[in-house]
Amino acid sequence: MTALYLLLPLLLPVPVAFLAKRKAEKRSLITLMAVELALVLLGLLCRGECALPFLPGMPILLRLDAVGKIFSVLFAAMFLLAGIFGFEYLHEKPERYYLFYLLTLSAMLGLCYAGNLLTFYLFYEAMTLLSFPLVLHEQTEASRRAAMKYLGYSLFGAALALFGFFVIYPATGGAAFVPGGALQGTAAPLLLAAAMAMIVGFGGKAGMMPLHDWLPTAHPEAPAPASAVLSGVITKGGVLGILRTIFYLYGADALRGTWVQWAGLVLALSTVFTGSMLAYKEKVLKKRLAYSTVSQVSYVLFGLFLLNGAGFAGAILQAVFHSVAKVCLFLCAGAFICKTGKTRVEQLYGIGRSMPLPLFCFAVTGLSLIGIPPFAGFVSKWYLAEGSFAAFPELGWIGAAVLLVSALLTAGYLLPVVSKGFFPGEDFPYEPIRCGLCIRLPLIGLACAALLLGLFPTQLLGWLSGLAAGIL
Amino acid sequence: MNLSSILLPVLVLLPVLGGLVCWFAGKRLRALTSWVVPTIELLLVILLAALGFAAPIRFDFPGVCGLGLGFTLDGLRWILCLMGSVLWFGSAVFGQEYLAHAEHKSRYYLYYLITEGATLGVFLAADLYTLLVCFEVMSVASWTLVAHEETPGAMKAADSYLAFAVIGGLVTLMGLFMLQDMFGTVDIARLQALAPGYENRTRLYVAGALTSFGFCAKCGMWPLHTWLPAAHPVAPATASALLSGIITKAGIFGILVLSAKVFLHDAAWGNVMLAFAMITMFTGAVLGVFSTNLKRTLACSSMSQIGFILTGVAMSELLGEESAGAVHGLTLHMLNHSLFKLTLFLAAGAVFMNLHELELNRIRGFGRGKPILIVSLLMGLWGLAGIPGGSGYISKTLLHESIVEYIEILEESGRAFGAYRAAEWIFLVSGGLTLAYMLKLFIALCVEKNADPRRQKEFDSMNGHWCTRVSGAVLLCCALLIPALGCTVYVSMDRIAALAEPFFHVEESAHVDYFTLGNLKGGAISIGIGLAVYLLFVRPVLMRKGEYLDRWPAFLNLEDGLYRPLLLKVLPFLGTLAARTVGTLLEVLRKGCCVLLYQNNHNGYVHPRENERFTVYEQLPEGTRGYGASLNFSLLMFSMGLVIILVFLFLQ
Repeated sequence: MTALYLLLPLLLPVPVAFLAKRKAEKRSLITLMAVELALVLLGLLCRGECALPFLPGMPILLRLDAVGKIFSVLFAAMFLLAGIFGFEYLHEKPERYYLFYLLTLSAMLGLCYAGNLLTFYLFYEAMTLLSFPLVLHEQTEASRRAAMKYLGYSLFGAALALFGFFVIYPATGGAAFVPGGALQGTAAPLLLAAAMAMIVGFGGKAGMMPLHDWLPTAHPEAPAPASAVLSGVITKGGVLGILRTIFYLYGADALRGTWVQWAGLVLALSTVFTGSMLAYKEKVLKKRLAYSTVSQVSYVLFGLFLLNGAGFAGAILQAVFHSVAKVCLFLCAGAFICKTGKTRVEQLYGIGRSMPLPLFCFAVTGLSLIGIPPFAGFVSKWYLAEGSFAAFPELGWIGAAVLLVSALLTAGYLLPVVSKGFFPGEDFPYEPIRCGLCIRLPLIGLACAALLLGLFPTQLLGWLSGLAAGIL
Repeated sequence: MNLSSILLPVLVLLPVLGGLVCWFAGKRLRALTSWVVPTIELLLVILLAALGFAAPIRFDFPGVCGLGLGFTLDGLRWILCLMGSVLWFGSAVFGQEYLAHAEHKSRYYLYYLITEGATLGVFLAADLYTLLVCFEVMSVASWTLVAHEETPGAMKAADSYLAFAVIGGLVTLMGLFMLQDMFGTVDIARLQALAPGYENRTRLYVAGALTSFGFCAKCGMWPLHTWLPAAHPVAPATASALLSGIITKAGIFGILVLSAKVFLHDAAWGNVMLAFAMITMFTGAVLGVFSTNLKRTLACSSMSQIGFILTGVAMSELLGEESAGAVHGLTLHMLNHSLFKLTLFLAAGAVFMNLHELELNRIRGFGRGKPILIVSLLMGLWGLAGIPGGSGYISKTLLHESIVEYIEILEESGRAFGAYRAAEWIFLVSGGLTLAYMLKLFIALCVEKNADPRRQKEFDSMNGHWCTRVSGAVLLCCALLIPALGCTVYVSMDRIAALAEPFFHVEESAHVDYFTLGNLKGGAISIGIGLAVYLLFVRPVLMRKGEYLDRWPAFLNLEDGLYRPLLLKVLPFLGTLAARTVGTLLEVLRKGCCVLLYQNNHNGYVHPRENERFTVYEQLPEGTRGYGASLNFSLLMFSMGLVIILVFLFLQ
């Protein structure tokens, strides 16, 4: 199959989204998202690349490589599940919501398929602008402000990345993504500064300090399915940006041992700790989860900055597992909000009695996020720590220790919800609350995924080690 | 692949499946599954012994959980599995009556059986990775057993249980990271080959200490014991028996793996272990003497007995080539302790089932006229206190003998042995205290009458129908096993202990004459101390006007006095301070820019504690449009980005 095929999953949501604007019909939209996932899966067979003329010397390049494959499937699957959930959650203007939802998916797929930095940048900006109305959806004063904050941080980050683009474009002659790095030879100081700018800029989307502050504002204001994809999927757009920058533009060798690597590691690790610590202190559940995203996505970045095979494998695994876990956690929080209106942690006392299934899924994915075996998060943390020790024989323990402290804090902010929810005392009064299929199906699916991915990650791991060998 | 190898994953996975059946099935199938699965497990373990351990037995799940899981079997592992399956079998059968009217039975049995699978998985693990995976599953699953009653006390205990489990698990994981980094493997057999040749001993000790942290927390070693006396009593009795009897042994097994494989015959490791073992043994016993709650006393006793077992571990390290006696002692003491705790916790369960009370003053006199209860408590006492004839005497004698032997070795070679003499005395005194607290329990329950004659009458009216025949039979069988083992020591216990020798690399088997004058003397000293403590301390000091008093000073509580404030107040405060400072740096910068650029103090100011949108915009009054200001802000951010670009371009 030629790469021209990639246009199909990329463009399919666009006309349908506008049709759906008139009438958001549940069945046809779910079908569409399922078809989209199928198309993405079919796209895995694509070979070659397809260049569409855009500017002189700067084509829009579409190409599907191993990283793109993993992320595109992940994005499409998560959008499908969170989309299904939305039908029971959203009551106001679902048609507008789904319009932008589908367009965002389209932009996200564009990120995966991008073959050069220009394409990537265009889709990146599109993703920001198209997901902006999702945050705005509730139309309250708070959500307007949150959306603006989101926009401000994202644009600032993108501007930094643009600076990187200007510098790297002439240095690599087109800024195409080449496994192992498009840049030849060592990086000049300006190039390193550009790398740092891109890392910080894209890192803003991924919730890395110093541009992390939009997450805890924007995520709680968006409707739950939107916050699920914001946290679980859109942050991965930033991860993808950093990954492309490090491994496909500069190459790991050009950055290894430079101040950029150190700065990245320090930023990532301090974000890991800061995010967890603030989440531990946070009382609003969705906000707590948003801070948790700040911390957990920086695990991924930490793995990338290690610039070795184990770190890379751990990072991608963490990206996938965090998506699964965080989407599920946000959907659970959404289920509580939509059925009971409870948003604060202390209000959720005894919630496991009336809504056992959502809380059970919360518990399973929460354990995965902490890194308790046999759930998925454990495996990724194992590889991250291994990578940390391998990259820095003397100092590697610091990275591992920060990860574990953060894991402890993760337990501290997730498990009390579970224990207070499930064990409120024998005579706790409650009424069973029934959740519809649209809520139960995604939750069960994600919880099962968290277990199964943890038990059988070999396929993914094999793929990743092959990939890591190719680009390092 | 032989039959034994195939049985290993069956042992681990069957209970998990059974648990799921219990969760989804109806009442009847659940009741059936809940005891049939442990029965099958017990039969399978016995079948394993019949097949023998000669051929290499190993089963691997390559790739599962990333690194792959592996299971293996040898003598020691078999003994532990046997203990586990016997305990689950006994408590499951007893549970049929005990839990007949309990709430949330599906939940209980789901985790009850998952815990069985995971615990056996710990014992069968061929590498530390598998061990940790099973260990964590066991910890989390058994947490729900602790929390099962959902009372405030149970929830507090469950919280500490979980906290210790999670912290312990993470620290152990850190140790594993280090071991993996140092040796490139965490396979137990490979570690054994590689560890002795490792150059950087400090790093090895650090890795070992970190790895053993979680195991020590699980087995209740001082100072990580604080959850234990709280958590064991609040669980349903059938679960307490498991928590005390076998789940602590999972922790011990982890320590054994490290001691016998990574640090084989390492004196430094042994000395540190001995110090902790002594403190654990003594503290547990003292807490037990002071306790006035039936199950709490038993829990403290578990802690103390774990100290005895750890003493054996330490001595086997110190004695090196001649560790056969210590190895026998610790193996048998693990076996004995499981059996005693099964008996005693089930007896306590029988009391609780009838009275819903565990406070000694309230349940006093309940045992009168109930022969089965009397026998089970008496046998528990007999064994636990190490009185000749019970099986506890054998293991304690072996442990005592190993200390004495080491002192002799030191004496011969002319090295200082004062510390070990002190250890011997702590050992004997702790043994005495064991007798004291068990006597306290036994006399309160089965000899004395209740202070309230009406209550005593009520108790007496229950005689004959305080438990079903099945439960009674379970109690009696467990109780009678204790003297049966103790009296047939050369036929039964010695042979069992010999099975454990290969695990510890014992070269020559030891033959000990248990009933010589010298050995009996050690027992007699302990018994003498015990009687003295009971008569001179427990009765005059801990009792007044026929009431048992709790005289343990409340401030002497590590958990409430140190751990909770530290972990819940001090450290989070410092952490949050750091995190808030770092996290809001950019935000402060932005706010400053806002103020400077717009000359708009109003927009740039937020009261830090005012609302939950700290670091977000301040709420504007109704009717003002928030859009404009924010759009400006977005433009500002965008132009800041452009400015930075320009600056860099100029630099170029």
